[in-house]
Order: sequence, then C-alpha cells, then structure tokens
Amino acid sequence: MIRVRNVSKSFNDQLVLNDVSLDIKSEEIFVVLGESGAGKSVLLKHLIGLLQPDSGTIQIDNEDITHLPESKLLKMRKKMGYLFQEGALYDFMTVFENIAFPLREHAHLDEKTIRQKVKDILKMIDLDEVEEKMPAQLSGGMKKRVALARAMILDSKILFCDEPTSGLDPIRSRDVSDLIRNVSRKFGCTTVITSHDIRNSFRVADRLALIHDGKIIAMGTQDELKASKDAFVKEFIS
Amino acid sequence: MAVYQQVVRSLGNALWFLGEIFGNILRGKIRFGEVLKQVYEQGLQSVVIVVLTSLASGLVLALQGYVAMSRFGAKEFVADLVALSLVRELGPVFTALVFSGKAGARITAELGTMNVNDQILATRTLGVDPMEFLVVPRMVACFLVLPILTIISEFCGIMGGYFVGVTQAHIAGVYYINETIRAIHYVDFFSGFIKVFFFAILIGWICCYEGFSTKGGSLGVGKYTTKAVAYSYIFVILLNTLLTKVILTFWG
Repeated sequence: MIRVRNVSKSFNDQLVLNDVSLDIKSEEIFVVLGESGAGKSVLLKHLIGLLQPDSGTIQIDNEDITHLPESKLLKMRKKMGYLFQEGALYDFMTVFENIAFPLREHAHLDEKTIRQKVKDILKMIDLDEVEEKMPAQLSGGMKKRVALARAMILDSKILFCDEPTSGLDPIRSRDVSDLIRNVSRKFGCTTVITSHDIRNSFRVADRLALIHDGKIIAMGTQDELKASKDAFVKEFIS
Repeated sequence: MAVYQQVVRSLGNALWFLGEIFGNILRGKIRFGEVLKQVYEQGLQSVVIVVLTSLASGLVLALQGYVAMSRFGAKEFVADLVALSLVRELGPVFTALVFSGKAGARITAELGTMNVNDQILATRTLGVDPMEFLVVPRMVACFLVLPILTIISEFCGIMGGYFVGVTQAHIAGVYYINETIRAIHYVDFFSGFIKVFFFAILIGWICCYEGFSTKGGSLGVGKYTTKAVAYSYIFVILLNTLLTKVILTFWG
C-alpha cells in the first residue's frame, strides 16, 4: 500500500505539489490524471524516491521513504518498476541486454536462466525477434513494451508508469494500456499511472485522481469522477 | 541569484561529485568489465590524433631548434632540445589537451545524452547507483589511458625530431638516439609524467560532472560538451603552471 500525506514540493518558488494526500491500495491500478505541467510526473518521482518533498510524508508498505538515503532507496527500488515516458532504454545496449540488466545486477542467475527469463517476458509482451536489435531500431510502441519488460523482469511488486501512451497513435495507445493492465494483473502488482489520456485511463484504472495546479481535486472510481459536479473535472473528462 | 552564489553552488556540487567518485573507488566499487570497455573506447579514439599531433610537434620543434642552434654551431643538441621539451613539458600537456578534446568530449556527450533521455534516472529506478555504473569506470579509465597515451606521444614526438635531425640537420641516427637517451634523466621524465595523473583526474572529473549536469535536450548536450572541453583546456593549462612551479621548486 502507498500512503501519501500532505506532500508539497516547490521548484524555484513555484509550487508544483500542494498538500497532496492519497492512498493507493495493494494490487490496485491507480491513474493520476491531469493537464501537462499539473505535477503528475513530479508526484510519481516522489513515490519512487527520485525526489524528496519539502513537507509531508510518503509510506510504502508501512515504511516511511520520505527521507531515506539513496543507498536504502536503491535497495528498495529492486521491488519496483518504473516505465519512463520515452522508455529510457540504454541506447548502447541491445534489447536483450536492456531487459537482462536488472537480472545481472540483482538476481545472480546463470546466463542460461537469464536468457530464458528474457525470452519468456518478451513472449508475454508479444515481441519476438527483437532481442538483438538496438533501441534506435524500434518503434515508439515497441520501446515502451521493452521498457515495461525491463521494469517487470524482477517480478516487481509496484509498477509506476509515466505517461505510457504519450506519443502513440490511438491503436498503439490502447494496446500499451491493455498490456500494462494485463501485466499488472498477472504479476499482482500495485500500479500507478500518470496520464492525460482519458479514454485509456478509464479502460485500465480501478480508481483515478485528477490533479490540477498541484492539488488533487477529485478522486474515486470512473463512475464517481463522471458524477462530479466540479466544473474542471467535468471539462477534463468530457 | 547573484553570480558569486551560483559559482559557489556549482563549485560545491562539483566537489561533492568528486567526493562521491573517490568514495566509490575507496569502497572498492569499481566494475572492471566497464573499465576495460572505457579504456578500449577512450584509448582507441584518441591514439591516432595523439600520434599525429605529437609527431608534428616533434618535427616542428626539431626544425625550429635546428635553425636556432645552428646559429651557435650547436645543431647536435637538437636531440636534447626535442627530448627534454617533450618529456618535461609538451608531451604531458599536449596529450592532455588532445585527450580532453576527443575522449573528454565523448564522455560528456555520452553522459549528457543519457541524462536528457532519462537513462541516468532509469539507472537509479533499476536499483543501480549511476556513479558506480557510469562515472567511476570512465574516471578510472582516464587515469589508466592518459599516462599510456602520454608515453606514446613522447615516443612519437622524439621520432619526429629524429626524422628532422637525420634528414635535415644530417646528424647520424645512432648519435641522435644516444644523445636523446643521455639527455633524459629520470627526474626529467617523472617531473613531466607525474603531472599526467593530475590531468587525468581533472579531465575525468570535469567531463563526467558536466555530462551529469546536462539539461535542455540536444542543444544542451552540445552546450555542456563544449563547456566541458573549454573548462578542461583552461584548468589543464592552469594546473600545469602550478604543478610546474611546485615540481621545479622541490625537484629541480
């Protein structure tokens, strides 16, 4: 379970997160909606400890990670996966090496087992014959799939996805969204997604929150958000 | 923010960065496989240009030296002039400057591109310390490659001088080589060579730090790479002046 309490964050006197509080249940798919620059990605980076709040606390599975040192955060992140907007694959490694990287770093497996695990996860994300390709040879959608495979290869218990459908056409967006949902369910992991893609967010989310000017202005199920009387919420999801 | 505050902050960040590098090295967090890859890339990339520039500087030194020394009837001492100039001063400094422009620029551009594409952040999310994975191997490789390149550079420079000495000044080849060996005392060699290790740390530090600080997309990568090379040039020259004074004071 992820618990965020009264988190605020400013950059150069500009308030990006303003007293944000939310709870994300175990094995839930939670989508944070909002306009560009609303503070969604900043919130996500706080949840994995890439940023520290100016005030407030963040707990993951009852452990306060707010001010953990980087050495402890590095250990904690082994059970988490983070899917970056553009994939952030290492461009000097092949697809196979990218996916195998976390296994080689943390799992201490022999090369044969690593190769089999990479093959299995590539099959799960419907990508064949790409193992020896470089990231530059892949399409945007394929990069995101490979990045998802890398994020989940250590059987992560928490998955963070930063704008997973941005820059993709509607069909690829739907495919990537469905893939995230399927992978999430299969691994039984808690998933937090930031997005401004309403249609696909409604497809995958158990619950959603809408962030506006650094504040959460609505939170609940798809039906609860649709029933909101708030003018901005209505405008955003219409 | 006032300019001096920015300078103090940047210097503080850069010193902290250097402390992190040495902290990792002292804790034994050196990935030898990555170091070997970097040694290969940095060395291979720089060796041709180092050979060319040092050969040319040896040739020019010998040509100018021959003209000047002929006026005093001492053209045989061209070998001494070339050898001592290269070994004590020009070899280490030229090699460090060429290395900054080739391998240093590559380090900043690589790390800068990784930074603007979130690959460095991704490393942290994968539970791996980017200092250990990306910076320490590059730094250690600089420390290993630059001394080797300096020796190659000094050898090629002396060979350039030998060519001019034999073909232009008509000095016998054996005499030229003997004179070169006789001229270089171990103090001459080491007073120049010791500086290379300081230059290696300086170049590795500046170029890795600028790479890690890069922001602003592809334009930023160009800007920070240029900045890293310019800073490396300036600080190599300043450090060389300081080290030369210190070495001459204590070691003649």
